[in-house]
Amino acid sequence: MRLAWTRIALPTLAGLLALLLSPGGAGAIESTAQQSPRATVTLVSEAAAVAPGESFRIGLRQRLAPHWHTYWTNPGDAGTPPEIALTLPEGVTSGEIAWPGPDRLPFGPLVNFGYENEIVLPMTVTVPPTAQPGRTLPIEARASWLVCERECIPEEGSFRIEVPVEATGTPAGGEIAAAFAAADARRPVPSPWPSRLGSEGEALVLAVEGEDITPAAVKGAFFFPAAWGAVEHAAPQALQVENGRLTLSLARGQALDASAPLAGLLAVSDGTGQTRWLELAPRLGPLPAGGGAGAAALALPFWQAALFAFLGGLILNLMPCVFPVLAIKATAVARMSGGALRQVRLSGLFYTIGVLVAFTALAALLLAVRASGAAVGWGFQFQSPVFVTLMVWLLLAIGLNLSGVFEVGQSLSGTGQSLATQQGHGGSFFTGLLAVVVATPCTAPFMGAAIGTALAAPPALALALFLAMGLGLALPYALLGIFPRIARTLPRPGAWMLRLRQGMAFPMYASAAWLVWVLVQQTGELGVLVALAGGVLIGLAAWLYGIAQHSGGRALFSRGAAALALAGTLALLPQLRHAAAPGAQAASTSGAEPFTAARLAALRAEGKPVFVNMTAAWCITCKVNERAALATAGVQAALAQNGITYLRGDWTNQDPQITEFLRGFGRDGLPFYVFFPAGKRDPVVLPPVLTESIVTAELTRNVSTP
Amino acid sequence: MTTPTTRLPFTARRRALLLGGAGLAVAPALLRGRPAQAAPAIGQPAPAFSAQDSNGRTQTLEALRGKLVVLEWTNHECPFVQKHYRSSNMQTLQREVTGAGAAWLSVISSAPGEQGFVTPAQANELSSSRQAVPTAVLLDPEGNVGRAYGAQTTPHMYVIGADGRLLYMGGIDSIASTNLADLEKATPYFRNAFRAVAEGKPVQQAVTRPYGCSVKYAA
Repeated sequence: MRLAWTRIALPTLAGLLALLLSPGGAGAIESTAQQSPRATVTLVSEAAAVAPGESFRIGLRQRLAPHWHTYWTNPGDAGTPPEIALTLPEGVTSGEIAWPGPDRLPFGPLVNFGYENEIVLPMTVTVPPTAQPGRTLPIEARASWLVCERECIPEEGSFRIEVPVEATGTPAGGEIAAAFAAADARRPVPSPWPSRLGSEGEALVLAVEGEDITPAAVKGAFFFPAAWGAVEHAAPQALQVENGRLTLSLARGQALDASAPLAGLLAVSDGTGQTRWLELAPRLGPLPAGGGAGAAALALPFWQAALFAFLGGLILNLMPCVFPVLAIKATAVARMSGGALRQVRLSGLFYTIGVLVAFTALAALLLAVRASGAAVGWGFQFQSPVFVTLMVWLLLAIGLNLSGVFEVGQSLSGTGQSLATQQGHGGSFFTGLLAVVVATPCTAPFMGAAIGTALAAPPALALALFLAMGLGLALPYALLGIFPRIARTLPRPGAWMLRLRQGMAFPMYASAAWLVWVLVQQTGELGVLVALAGGVLIGLAAWLYGIAQHSGGRALFSRGAAALALAGTLALLPQLRHAAAPGAQAASTSGAEPFTAARLAALRAEGKPVFVNMTAAWCITCKVNERAALATAGVQAALAQNGITYLRGDWTNQDPQITEFLRGFGRDGLPFYVFFPAGKRDPVVLPPVLTESIVTAELTRNVSTP
Repeated sequence: MTTPTTRLPFTARRRALLLGGAGLAVAPALLRGRPAQAAPAIGQPAPAFSAQDSNGRTQTLEALRGKLVVLEWTNHECPFVQKHYRSSNMQTLQREVTGAGAAWLSVISSAPGEQGFVTPAQANELSSSRQAVPTAVLLDPEGNVGRAYGAQTTPHMYVIGADGRLLYMGGIDSIASTNLADLEKATPYFRNAFRAVAEGKPVQQAVTRPYGCSVKYAA
């Protein structure tokens, strides 16, 4: 003990002063050493003396022979970190080892994480306020450590220091202060830069963003995972640095838990060879559609989201979802035949305005509902049986109107000619509204990511994105308004217009029938009864109203009876509240199991492949996909042969689990298909419009990869 | 049900759409690269191997098809390995495994001149002096078998099913130390995995952290 004392105290004046200041020399702030040809290990105190109530640091000090190393808390591919057990006087407490940032120590194909030369593993010790100045604090430690060059030798030792208690604390000087300072140069600090974790194929991509990240300032970087399993320790980590951002490519480990944050240290070296160890713990973000590169978890930039929104709206015109509205539009376009240019122009304009107003209103409503905390998503209006029932009746009424049972706002004396000229622009506006309300529940390609971005954006940006989507949807019709001469290419007005109009009533009836089927799944038999009874009353009201229009006079009785029938229809609505949703739907479709987050998590934990189909009865695109792609023999065989579990989530009614799942992928609408390959690899998002070959290719490609 | 009538006209429309917009959406997914994965994976066929054992016979995984196979990476000079042999923990496991009709292959991937490298005669001498009862000791001085399995430490344990699929890889137990006293406290990951497999049950923890000395591969 005396030897150690001398060695510490002599080198510097400060050390000497500390010695002189300590009363009676009754302390020893570095223990005797446990020595081997490989390592000289002691227990040291950073304080030459401590005051009652103070905290100070002690540490296991390791001085290693050249080429020998000891380990960090995560030792890497082999080895084990030192262990220290302290014995402290009554009332004295200690913290865990504050591990200094490690170095990367390659060994053949393996890599270890640890320290060479000299290191101090510090721990904080707190002295109770009741400690008596003039006494010493005896601190004992038993430690074991593995010291390795190419071969590893386990070593252990027992250590004791005695730290004097004084009225005021005194720092240790000299060699001990320098040893702590050297360890502090490696002390990890919370990252000043936000980090994200995405994935790209088999690799994980760590992205760190900060204004002071430049190619000149970041010469090297390495990520040390805090624990085994998440990242392959030995895999090279490709670094890319650009102004404001660096990305590091990591190989995923054998036991990556995608739901836990990836904690670890990012060691960043600058041009002068200085290294900083930054603490980070990014969470793995979802793979966006189209699998971006390093930006995997990043939201789309605004201009790109706006472009996607616009294209999505445009393509929506071609989705099966929008079918009921196509009929109305076809009729409306036909009305243009022979119309004055100004009429055509205004009609296109009003339709566009209708679409935009509807989009704005729907988006505002959606944002408001979500702001209040409800888990609703795009197309949420169809999750309300009342809304669906009203749509049934509205579509039926439009059908009856097209069939000629009654007219809107005019007597029935009109011909094709008068239809073209006399239909108000209110009709165009209304058609635009209807197009949005009916068509938007289904997402088109490009819309998924854009809607996800929109709902995560500030409200003003969100509304702008929805308007872009609306413009896209309205574009074909708006073009008519801009270039009204296109309408001149239509045949001359005539009886064909009436036929077309009457024919177009049938898609309306078909759509109403489809929505009744949706209701079956939402409310069961009672709901269907309500909807159909209401439908009969709508028919009656339309017929009576038509009679009144035919009679030429005021026909108060007919009009009154029609209004009564309409009122009776609406009076049926409250009945829907009593209509309960039928029990959990039988997993009827193609051997699918009902989706639950718990089931998915269990399957993923076992590393089993899972195909998830998020669908809803009101999503026609979903139904077409199920019929045309998922139910085919090829897809069924691919599922069965590869042992893929097929989970089907039904969003016909609200389901927070599904909303949550979709949001996890930055989505808010249907259809949505995602495949989780075996072995906990990245989920793959499939496009919203499927074919048998797209699905089988994705399923088999991912399974067959070794 | 009128839904089919609303669907049918759209089949053609969908085709056209796929050529257009959706095609753009699909393309990036198809272009995404999938680098070949070298590391073995649970549930996938275990890497095939062919290596000389300490008695000069050639051992292949193929020839052992139909049996459960255990691979143990070892290095008799590694203190982590010594913990399990000095305590007889490893020999007890070997008797249990071979007694159940499974094959136990101890693999030595130390390169010549490195710690743990042995000649065939030395390997046999080690087995008899330690009363070890592996089915065979594979000599892998070039590290081919070790690298194929991604063996990192000694010990590093693998269980392969009768159908040749990998069922377990990782540590022998849960406490990474050289201290014999820790054997009692540790969760015996490998033993649990082997017993589950032998009983035809799923392995609860199929991948665990291997611990020990690094495998002394040829540089």
